[in-house]
Amino acid sequence: MKVKLLIFLFFILGYKPGLYAQNLTATQIVTKADEKLNGEKSSFTVMSMTIIRPSWKRTIEFKNWSLGRDYALTLITSPAKDAGQTFLKRSAEMWSWNPTINRLIKLPPSMMSQGWMGSDYTNDDILKESSVVKDYTHEIIGEESIGDRLCYKIKMVAKEDAAVVWGHQIRWIDKKDMLFLKSELYDEDGYLVRTETGSGIREMDGRIIPTLIELLPSEEKGNKTLIEIKDIKFNIAIGENYFSQQNMKMVR
Amino acid sequence: MNENLKIAWRNLWRNRRRTIITSASVFFAVFFAVVMRSYQLGSYDHMITGFIESYSGYLQVQHTKFQDNPLIDNSFSYNDSIAMAISGVGKVVSVAPHIESFALVSSGTQTKGVIVLAIDPEKEKKFSNPENKLVKYRITGKAIDLLKKSGFIPGYVLEKVEKCMGGSYSSRSRLELEVGLSATDNDLYIPYIIKSCEISNGFLSNEDKGVLVSDKLAGYLMVTIGDSIILMGQGYHGASAAGIFPVRGIIKMPIPDIDSRLIITTIPAAQKFFDSEGMITSLSVNLTSKSHRTMKEAKNMINLLLTDKTTVTKTWEELNPVLVQQIQGDSQSGMAMLGLLYFIIFFGIFGTVLMMVAERKREFGVLIAIGMQKRKLKSIITIEMIMLGGIGLVSGLLASAPIIMYFYYFPVLLKGDLAKMMEDYGWDAVMPTAWFGPYFYWQAIIVGMMVILATIYPLRKIGKLREIEALRS
Repeated sequence: MKVKLLIFLFFILGYKPGLYAQNLTATQIVTKADEKLNGEKSSFTVMSMTIIRPSWKRTIEFKNWSLGRDYALTLITSPAKDAGQTFLKRSAEMWSWNPTINRLIKLPPSMMSQGWMGSDYTNDDILKESSVVKDYTHEIIGEESIGDRLCYKIKMVAKEDAAVVWGHQIRWIDKKDMLFLKSELYDEDGYLVRTETGSGIREMDGRIIPTLIELLPSEEKGNKTLIEIKDIKFNIAIGENYFSQQNMKMVR
Repeated sequence: MNENLKIAWRNLWRNRRRTIITSASVFFAVFFAVVMRSYQLGSYDHMITGFIESYSGYLQVQHTKFQDNPLIDNSFSYNDSIAMAISGVGKVVSVAPHIESFALVSSGTQTKGVIVLAIDPEKEKKFSNPENKLVKYRITGKAIDLLKKSGFIPGYVLEKVEKCMGGSYSSRSRLELEVGLSATDNDLYIPYIIKSCEISNGFLSNEDKGVLVSDKLAGYLMVTIGDSIILMGQGYHGASAAGIFPVRGIIKMPIPDIDSRLIITTIPAAQKFFDSEGMITSLSVNLTSKSHRTMKEAKNMINLLLTDKTTVTKTWEELNPVLVQQIQGDSQSGMAMLGLLYFIIFFGIFGTVLMMVAERKREFGVLIAIGMQKRKLKSIITIEMIMLGGIGLVSGLLASAPIIMYFYYFPVLLKGDLAKMMEDYGWDAVMPTAWFGPYFYWQAIIVGMMVILATIYPLRKIGKLREIEALRS
C-alpha cells in the first residue's frame, strides 16, 4: 500500500513539470540555463559575424571548435583577406596565427580590451572564465515576455571577491526551454554597457538554441554586432591535443 | 630747420662722452635684441620648414574626421584629376597624395608602434623629395678602422671623425659640416672619409612593394637593406592588416622624433595592406610661401574645387596646434626677455637725459633770456634726442646685419651633449638665423618710441623754465 502510494505520488508529481518549475529558485534557473548553454562537452560551430557601424558593415565567417570551457580554436574562412587566420584559446591565454606574415602571436594583456576582429566583442569576452552561476548572486525580479516567449527576469549581482567585468546583469531566461534570451550588462557604477539579445530559436543537432545573437553597445550609437549560428554539432570526438599551436597552422 | 640740425649736431658733440655712452647703450640693446630675435625666429623657421615641407605640407586635404580620429576608416577616394585641379591653383608648388596611418612594426623580437606613410614616389619628388634624404654615408667603427689602416689620414682628422661615430648623413656637405675640418683639409681628406663611410641605399619604384625605414628606427629594429619587416595593424573598415615588406632603403628624417618612427611605402602597397583600394588619407600641398594670406587664399580656392563633401582643406597650423603653441610659447618668453632688455635700456637713456637737463639748465636759461624762442629750443632738443637714438640704432643694426647674414648661410651646428638634448626634444640641432624681416624694422620702431618717451621730460622742463631761476642755478 505504501509503495503504491509512493508510486502514485511520484506519478502525480512527475506529471506536473510546470508546477515543479514554478518553484525553482533564481540560482537553479540560472544553473539550468547555463547548463543548456555550456553543458555539452564539445562542439563544432559554423558562424558568421556581421559588424555594423554607422557608415559601413562587414561580415566575417568562421568555424569554431571547442572543448569544455577551457579550449577553443577559431578559423576565419571569409573574407578572403582574413581567411586562414586562427585563434587559439587555452584556459586564460590566447594566441593568434596569421598565415600572411607567418607569425604566431600571444595576445598581450594590453590587447584584451580590444575588439575581436574589429567587432564589439572584446578579446576578454571570449576569454573570460567567470561563471554566471558561481560569481553572481541571483534574484527573480519578475516575468516578462521576449517576443512570444515568457521569461524569468533575473537580476544577478557580482559577488565581492569575483573577478568579473560587470557590476550586475539582468537576464531574461525563457521559461519553457531555459534559454538566455536577453542580457543587459551593467558596469560597477550601474551604467548599462551593452545589451545582448538572442532570437531565431531553432532546433540544431537535437537541441533548441537561439541562432541569432545581437550585441548592442549602449555608448556607441549605430554600432552593432550580429552573430548567426549556421551549423552546430555537439559532442564531437575531439581531444585536448586538438587545441595546439601546431594545429592552428594546419586546421582547415 | 637746417640751422636747428646744425646746432643739435654740434650740441651732441660738445659733450662727447655723454653722447657716446647713451648711443652705446642703445647700440647694445638693438644689437642683442636683433641677434637674439633672429636666432629665435630662425630656429622656428627651421623647425617649421623641416616639418612642413618635408612632412605635412602647408595645406592638407583630409576627410573631415581624420584630424580628430586619424584612422584609415576616415580616408577618401582619390583620383589623379583632383591632384591635377589643385596643382592648377595659383601659388601651389606641388601636390602629393599620402596615406598615413599607424601600425606595429616587428623584426626579430623587436616591435614598435610606427607611422606608416605611403607616397607616390613620382609625385613625391616634387613635394618632400625623400630620395634626397636617403642615408649615403655612415660613420661606423669599421669605417674608422679602414681609415686608420690607410695611414693617410692624420691623427687630428681621425679624432674629429671619431667624434661623429654612429652618425649617418644624407649628403657630403652635411658630413663636412658635422666633421668640421678646415677648407683645405676638406678637399684633402673628405673624399677618403666618404669612400670608407659610403653605404649603398635604394629608393622605391612606382609600384614597389617594399618600404623605406627611417634611420633611427632601422637601428632599433636592427634591419638593413634587403631585410624584411613585418607590419601589423588595423585596415579599412575593421579588416585586419598584416604583411611582410622588404626594406629597400634607409632614410634620414630631419625631425628626430619622426626619424625614430617612420616607415615609407608606396600607395598601392599601402592600399593592399590596409585593404583600402583607391583611398588615401590626405593630399599634401606645398605653396610658394607660408604667409597667412597665401595659405588662406589657396585654402579657399582648393575648398571650392573639392566636390567630395566629406573632405576639407586644413592649414599646417590647424593640423599641428601643439607645434604652433610650442613656438608661440617660446616666442612669448623671448619677447618678454627683449622687453626686459629694452626696459633697462630705457631707464639708461632716461637717466642720461635727466642728467643732461640738469647740467644744461643754466644754458637753456641763457638762451631764452637772450631771446631764443622756447619752441626752437624744444625742436633742437628733440632733434638731438633723435640723433642720439638714431646713432645707436643704426650702428646696432649695421653691426648685427653681417652676423645675421653669415649665420643665415652658415648656421651654427650644435654638437655633443647639447645636440643630443635638442634631438631628444625632437628638434634638429641646427641654429640658423632668420633673414631680415619685420622683426628687424621693429627694433627701430621700439627704439624710436623710447627716445620719444624720454624726450617728453626735457620738453616739459623747457616749457616750465623760468629764465631768472635758471640763470641763478
